[in-house]
Amino acid sequence: MVTMAIARQTLEDMLRRKILLILLIVGVGMIALGPSVGFLTPRESSAVLRSLGLAVILIAGLLITVISSIQVIPTEIERRTIYTVLSKPVQRYQFVLGKFLGGIMTVFVMIAAMGIVFLGVLFWHEKAFAPDMLKGVVMTFCQMMLLGALTIFFSTFAPPVVNFFLSFGLFVVGNLSTVTESLTSNRNPVTAILAKIVHYSIPNFGNFNMQNKLIHPEIVIKNETVFLTQNIVYAVLYSAVLLVLAILVFDKREV
Amino acid sequence: MSAATRTRLLLTIVPLFAAVVLLQARQDPIIREIRGNEKTPLIGLSNEFIMGPMLGLGQAVAGVLWVRADEFFHEGDYDAILPLVRMITWLDPHQLDVYITGAWHLAYNFTDSSERSDRRYLPAAQALLREGFYNNPEVYDIAFELGWQNSDKIKNYYEAEKWFREATKRSTTDDQGRKQPAPMFTWHQVAHSLARQGLIDESIATWRHVLSLTEERLKKAQARKDPQAWSVANVRANELHNLTLTLKRKFSRFTHEIDFVIDGKQTKSVDMQTGRPSPPNCYLATRPGEGVPIGQPRPPALSRPWETAFDARVTFPEPMVMEPRGDFVMGDGARVTIRLHDADWRPTQLKEFTFRVDQTQTIMVDQHSVRNYGWGRKIDMSRDPKMYSFSKPEYFLVFEFDPRGTSPFIQDRTGWCGEGMTDKRYLFVKRQENPKAPPVRLIRKVFRLTRDHVLNGKPVTDADVVPNAEYARIMGEQAL
Repeated sequence: MVTMAIARQTLEDMLRRKILLILLIVGVGMIALGPSVGFLTPRESSAVLRSLGLAVILIAGLLITVISSIQVIPTEIERRTIYTVLSKPVQRYQFVLGKFLGGIMTVFVMIAAMGIVFLGVLFWHEKAFAPDMLKGVVMTFCQMMLLGALTIFFSTFAPPVVNFFLSFGLFVVGNLSTVTESLTSNRNPVTAILAKIVHYSIPNFGNFNMQNKLIHPEIVIKNETVFLTQNIVYAVLYSAVLLVLAILVFDKREV
Repeated sequence: MSAATRTRLLLTIVPLFAAVVLLQARQDPIIREIRGNEKTPLIGLSNEFIMGPMLGLGQAVAGVLWVRADEFFHEGDYDAILPLVRMITWLDPHQLDVYITGAWHLAYNFTDSSERSDRRYLPAAQALLREGFYNNPEVYDIAFELGWQNSDKIKNYYEAEKWFREATKRSTTDDQGRKQPAPMFTWHQVAHSLARQGLIDESIATWRHVLSLTEERLKKAQARKDPQAWSVANVRANELHNLTLTLKRKFSRFTHEIDFVIDGKQTKSVDMQTGRPSPPNCYLATRPGEGVPIGQPRPPALSRPWETAFDARVTFPEPMVMEPRGDFVMGDGARVTIRLHDADWRPTQLKEFTFRVDQTQTIMVDQHSVRNYGWGRKIDMSRDPKMYSFSKPEYFLVFEFDPRGTSPFIQDRTGWCGEGMTDKRYLFVKRQENPKAPPVRLIRKVFRLTRDHVLNGKPVTDADVVPNAEYARIMGEQAL
């Protein structure tokens, strides 16, 4: 109950932030303008529209996640409002979990809004509903949930600027998971071992990228349900690991 | 938090993280399959695009680059398109239209000032399409394009047939994203490329097979009251027309008469308007066993093969300006191919796609139409020194008539593979690439030129003529 109350309060606080609303409006506007690049053949035009729509959701989602997660804990400490909260019968782990859930709910609302507009634009452009795109939107949300957990973890010990570069850097490295994966079979055993450590230990954000399949309908994923389920479970489990770590670090922190 | 709770939490991380590693190991093969041959060409991308692939937005960057390439195309800046094509196909190896359009640019749109395409780009065009095919083995589009380029541009009908057959085995997706068999025109091109090789019975058999497939499709479409059934009916009508036409040509070209039979009645004509046998109570055998054409291949026509009396002469009135003239007793509209190439040039296949060509290589191909038994006009290569560098010491200048690719009304005289024509001096018979195909009878005259001929106007005489057998040996053809 306490956790949910903190989450709700965080969500309300986030939704009042102008910067997040501006990002949402820009994202929605860019998705709506997507069909204007329609000088190509129908197949090309559809591929470009789909890839751009998913890209806008990802970029806007990325900024919203980082901005909303990076400051939730440091701001509370800076404004000293954390004392008011922690002086009540609120455990530190409840505080961390509540902040994480509040941030993720914010991201969910924003991504859902952009997803609805994206599906609407696709319906208008292609005269057919494209339910497959929902999978892409869900995968983006899972990616952002993982990134949110990572940012919350860093925010328990690092200042916002350091946190931004750490989170963003790991997001980029995690997106190059195909590179790290290919290096695991490198002939040089040292490189292979290092690549294995990196590949299996950092959050692989590239796992959630299924744009190929969504943009080109002729590509078939043999076990799509397994792929999607494993991705969701991966995001949940990895987020859980990061939150446990965040709780442990925050518990020891002097505030 | 108590020390015990902290320990418990720390211990919880171990199984959670083990599960994460296990999941990652299970996801890797699936991701490898989805990504295919995607590459991240970070070095070639400009600053505004470089972050895209690093954030997992390779496809979006590819889309934006393709929009830019489209703008370059409309501005006529074809050179700028090629590097973009390379980037896009690395970022998103499933953009079929990028492979197809890129290969089309390479094969057709780089031209000299007289609109002759730059043949040096053909191996690159083929390599790009092959790369696209291997990255998208499920769909018919790129295999079809490879077939088309081989048929239309390279005139290698055996290779074309192989790629068209590959296309028939693959699928396409409809508006709802459902898998559908490759369109029927892939089959039509198989039949056409068989006919181009002189494999007429195989071509007819293919048309019959195609017709049966379309009839099945038509029945299904009519049964489910599909509004597209009229389109299938149109396809069927065209296939029937092609089958009828090929049957008609087979009998007219091989026996100089047409006869079909039904109920013991025989017809010696086909209605030119409808393609139907005449009198109308006879019909063509469009299915095996449905009426037996009694005009089985007969001995060749009674008339002697047509003497083409071919000849070719050439002068260089100015440096790099060639003026070929010749005689050819053939109907107006027959086309003589003129090929001038480095003596060491051979048709090649690139292992990997690159759009950089050897700028020192010279190869010029043109075609001149026959009018009143003569042909020839000026060919000015001096305005395009980048395309025709003439940096090698020796060249071959080939004048050739290949009946396989000529118009049907000319083939009515020559036959599919030149069976109906001969030439006292320049007839050259060679084996086709397809071992099952009959030999092809070409008319060919070859000169060996030097830079002195091309640049200084040294007269080209009969002493410079290279025997056809020798040229065939040099080029790796199998003369008969």
